[in-house]
Amino acid sequence: MTDQLTTDPSKPAQRMRAGSMTLTLAPWIIAAVAMMVMPLVFTNNSALTIMNQMSITIIFALAYNMLLGQGGMLSFGHAVYAGVGGFACMHIMNMSDFFESIPLVILPVFGGLFGMGLALIVGSFSTRSAGTVFAMISLGVGELIAACSVIIVAFFGGEEGISGDRTYAQPFFGVEFLQQIEVYYLTAAWVIISAALMYLWSRTPVGRMANAVRDNPERAEFLGYSARWVRYYSFVASGFFAGVAGGLFAINYEILTEENLNTASSGVILLVTFLGGVGFFFGPIIGAIAFTLLQTVLSLSTELWAFYAGTLFLATVMFFPGGLAGLIMMHVPAFKLGKASQLIVPYLKTLLPGAIGLLGAAALVEMTFHFRHAATGDDEMTIFWTTFNSHDVLPWIIAGAITLIGLGIARATAPSLKDAWNEANTAGGAS
Amino acid sequence: MSTPALELSGLKKSFGKAEIIRGIDLSIGKAERHAIIGPNGAGKSTLFNLITARFPATAGTVKLHGENLAGLEPYQINRKGLSRSFQITNIFPAMTVFENVRCALLWAQGYRYSFWDLVNRKRDLTEGAEAILDQINLLERRNLPAGTLSYAEQRALEIGITIAGGADVIMLDEPTAGMSHSETDYITDLIMKVTEGKTLVMVEHDMGVVFGLADRISVLVYGEIIATGKPEDVRGDPKVQEAYLGAALEAEH
Repeated sequence: MTDQLTTDPSKPAQRMRAGSMTLTLAPWIIAAVAMMVMPLVFTNNSALTIMNQMSITIIFALAYNMLLGQGGMLSFGHAVYAGVGGFACMHIMNMSDFFESIPLVILPVFGGLFGMGLALIVGSFSTRSAGTVFAMISLGVGELIAACSVIIVAFFGGEEGISGDRTYAQPFFGVEFLQQIEVYYLTAAWVIISAALMYLWSRTPVGRMANAVRDNPERAEFLGYSARWVRYYSFVASGFFAGVAGGLFAINYEILTEENLNTASSGVILLVTFLGGVGFFFGPIIGAIAFTLLQTVLSLSTELWAFYAGTLFLATVMFFPGGLAGLIMMHVPAFKLGKASQLIVPYLKTLLPGAIGLLGAAALVEMTFHFRHAATGDDEMTIFWTTFNSHDVLPWIIAGAITLIGLGIARATAPSLKDAWNEANTAGGAS
Repeated sequence: MSTPALELSGLKKSFGKAEIIRGIDLSIGKAERHAIIGPNGAGKSTLFNLITARFPATAGTVKLHGENLAGLEPYQINRKGLSRSFQITNIFPAMTVFENVRCALLWAQGYRYSFWDLVNRKRDLTEGAEAILDQINLLERRNLPAGTLSYAEQRALEIGITIAGGADVIMLDEPTAGMSHSETDYITDLIMKVTEGKTLVMVEHDMGVVFGLADRISVLVYGEIIATGKPEDVRGDPKVQEAYLGAALEAEH
């Protein structure tokens, strides 16, 4: 899904085109098949819920990256468009007398249209410039509409939000969407459609010019394009897909509150997108999967999951600004040189002790938390399948030692990993 | 004489109290290669920015093919057939070389704000971009991020972007600044080749380039044109000798 055009003048044009077509389609087919098979592997309802949440986050993060990664617009209020789309869908569900004939499967389109409608209005003045002005306007509008949710109770339902029933419509070819699994497949279909449309969008003239305007708005203007209009188009399209995500949220959870459009939610989607990597189309997809797993699975085992998510985000911003997708793509040259396997052993030598050291650090964090917050008399705690008394000294010494030794080994072996990395990325060489 | 390609009359620009451009009248004919020279701080780049509406003029008019450009945005001026490069290299560094040129073709090929055409499927874009890349000798570098090219290559790419839209008035702001001798010769040949039959307006310091390329030269000193004419006339003009050219020519040799 990179921009590389695989052209080789020696090959006939026809073959080249067919070859690049299969290459482009392959990831989509794999993704579609994987999504179809997933419920057979993870059968319980909570897994389905997690996967639905993942899917919704994927659409939302991809929509967000149309602004951030492709258009160079940093928004602090994008949850508003998803939220408004979701609320609109909820109202449609609740007015089943009128809308009975709209099947549930196309309801997200209406979420999209409402998100887009709001984006049409807000974008008309916010996309005048990128950078700080855009960011500040997005923040202001975000706060404004979040505040409206307690004022305009008829639409937003005040503090308790509004709820609905997704079985409002006539069954769609006999499917009533009572079962979680039916909703899963509905959501999955929407992820594939939305992601494909957003990918295709990035290949159109206005999608290409979004990159040009991001890189250098002034130069883009001397190519005949108004930077403002290019931004506006991206913004409106992004509002549409955010609204689709909101509609799917409404279908899945059947309740929406102010939380769905407040600044905190807008912050989360920024975090998700950046974690995945803004430089590649598939970055936000990875970010959405990783973040949802962190949020759902990690939150089962620790109350401090947000602390770890925040740490991960900071580490990404500081050390891997390309995000998880950037980390993956970093290895492409080594693969092309056929030298990627040379990295396995050095990686194990550095990353394994590093990971153990970090787990030790996490244990220290958990023990501190338990020491401070556990009820009096409840001194026992369990981490990593080990139960001990957090008021004893020995566990602290052990966790501290693991941290220091693990990180120490990682640090000591880092130079040889660096050498191996340089070697693996150099053509030719001794080995 | 038919309508000039570019006509400036009474053009003035002040920043606060400082008058940088002090009334310029200049007419540049179709398919003419015109160079604007002058000492540092004479207002050459400001003049460029006035013509392309990067700054609004304090007074006076700019006409492109007889049409007044007052009040137009840069992108609207570009659509009327005027394209420019910048003194500081101004490309899209994160995009590939090919993508840089292809984006420069989009508007002129009529794609505008299309969100239904897929650019990879469009033969006219691919072939058009390849033709330009061939002209500027960057065909083999097509898949590299433009920011990784050498300085001279980036300047060549910028010229490619500038001409790609098919504009008939091309403005180049110091295209050979900071280049070695061989690079300068290379870029001069390139400019000669790609501006064939087009109107070229160029700001340039290198007198070798100026006298090699220009049909006519204007000398700009302190915001005023003190002489305009054929290279040999300008070279012999005592006013020019005194104000600028003598010193510049000596520095060349």
